[in-house]
Amino acid sequence: MSDAIFQFNQVNRLVLQNITFTLHEEDRLIIFGPSGAGKSTLLHLFNRMDDPEQGEVLFHNKRIEQYDIPQLRRSVGLVLQQPHLFPDTVLDNLKFGPSLFNDWEEGRAERLMEYVNLPIDYLDKSVEELSGGEKQRVSLARTLANKPDVLLLDEPTSALDDRNIEAIEEDLIRLIEHNHLTVVMVTHSMDQAKRIGTKGLYIEEGQVIEYGDINQLLENPNTDQLKQFLHKS
Amino acid sequence: MERDIPTYSLLLLIVFVMIPFTIAYIYQLGLKKDIIWSTIRGTLQLLLIGLILTYLFDLSPLVGIPIMLSVMILVATFHARKKGKELPYIFITILVGLIGVEIIVLSMWLGFGMISFTPEEVIPMSGMVIGNSMVAMGLALERLKSEFEQKRGKLLAALSLGATPKHAAHMSIKKTLNAALIPNIDQLKTIGLVQLPGMMTGLILGGVAPIIAIKYQLVISISIFSSVSLSAIFISMVMYRFFFNKQMQLLNLQDIKKDG
Repeated sequence: MSDAIFQFNQVNRLVLQNITFTLHEEDRLIIFGPSGAGKSTLLHLFNRMDDPEQGEVLFHNKRIEQYDIPQLRRSVGLVLQQPHLFPDTVLDNLKFGPSLFNDWEEGRAERLMEYVNLPIDYLDKSVEELSGGEKQRVSLARTLANKPDVLLLDEPTSALDDRNIEAIEEDLIRLIEHNHLTVVMVTHSMDQAKRIGTKGLYIEEGQVIEYGDINQLLENPNTDQLKQFLHKS
Repeated sequence: MERDIPTYSLLLLIVFVMIPFTIAYIYQLGLKKDIIWSTIRGTLQLLLIGLILTYLFDLSPLVGIPIMLSVMILVATFHARKKGKELPYIFITILVGLIGVEIIVLSMWLGFGMISFTPEEVIPMSGMVIGNSMVAMGLALERLKSEFEQKRGKLLAALSLGATPKHAAHMSIKKTLNAALIPNIDQLKTIGLVQLPGMMTGLILGGVAPIIAIKYQLVISISIFSSVSLSAIFISMVMYRFFFNKQMQLLNLQDIKKDG
C-alpha cells in the first residue's frame, strides 16, 4: 500500500518477538496488553529512542536508520507518561523543540495553548506552578510544537484523575483530527482505546496476538488470550 | 629569621590528641583505634614527606620537580577515579586533565615570573592546585552521575524532542558545574575574613612579611580557582558523552560499557 507510514518486519527487541504490522497514515493505533508485555519498548522503536536487535522498521518505505535522528524525532513526536517538563516557563518548554531546528514564529505559542485548552497568560508561568493535568497539557503542547506527523503517546493520562482524563481526551481527539495526525498510543484503559483508536494491536509476552480494527478487537476478539484479557479489564 | 618548634614541645601535641581520645573513651564512640591510628599514620606520612622533600630539594630542579609532580598527579588520579569507576576511560581522562591543568598553571607562574623554578616553590604550590583539582573532578563526576540518574525523564523528553545529547545534557552539565564550583566561589568571597588561608599562615609563621605572604596567597588562590573550574568543566564535557550511545539514546549507568 502506498500510504504505509510505518512497517515493522520481524522485529525483535528485549521481550518483543517477531513483531510485524503496517501502520497507515492517519491511523490511530492503540497498543495494549498486560504489564510487561513490551508496549513501551515497542513504542520507543517508532522514534529510535530504542532500536531493534533483529528485523527492520520502515518509515515512509525507507529504513528508519536512514533518517537523521533529530529530524526523525521531530516528525515522530513522543509524549511520555509523566510530563517531565524543563524547569523554566511554559513558553520556554514550548520553544525547546522548535528552537533546535530554528523553526519558531510569533503566534505559535498562543495556537498551541489553544490546542491544549490552557489560558494564554500561562505562557509566562513557571511550570512548578501548574497542576498535574496542566503539566501534562504543556507536555503535549511541547511535543506538538515540533509539528509532528506522527504522535506517540505513552499512557499520557495514567497519572491524571477522571475529570482531567476526559478533558484531555477530548482535546486530543480534536487536535488529532485537525492536524491529520497518525497516532500510536499505549493505554491501559479500554474505554480510552475505544474513544481514541481506530486500530488495535494486542500484545502479550512480546508477541502480537491480534491486530486490526479496534472495535472489532474489543467487541469480537478472535483469540482466547484477548478474550481473557478483556474479561479481566 | 627561621622559626623552629622544639621537638619536645611537638611531643606535647599528645595532650591535644588526648582530648578527642578521652571524649571517644567516655562516650564510647568506638573511635579510639581510629584516633590513635590516624595520628600515628599522619605523623609518619608527614615525616616521610619531610624526608623526601629534603632529598628532592637537594636534587637538580630538572630532576626533582618532574619526579614529585608525576607522583602527585598519579596519586591524585588514582584517588579521583574512584568517583567514576563505572565510566570508560576514566583514568586516562583524569590523568590528561590534571597534567593539562598543571602545565597551564605552571606556565603562567613561571612565564609571568610569579615564582621561580625551584622545588621549594613549585612543589607546594602545585600540590595545592593538583589536590583541589582532584577534589573538583571527583565532585563533578559524582554530581554528573546523580544528575543523569535523577533527570532521566527530562533527558528522555529532550532527546525525543530532537535534541542532540549535547543539547539534552546541557542542563545537567550546568548543574554539575554549579555544584563543583560554588564551594570555591564561596571560599574566594570570604577569604581572609573567616580564616587566614593556610599558605599565608604558613608564610607568616615562617617569618615572611604579611604583605608578601598575601601576594603568594593571591597567586595560589586565583590559580586554584581557575584550575578547579577548568578541571570540572573538562571532566564534565568529556564524560557526559558516555551516557549516550551513537544512536542518541540515553544509557543506564550500569549499561555504560566499561572499556577504559
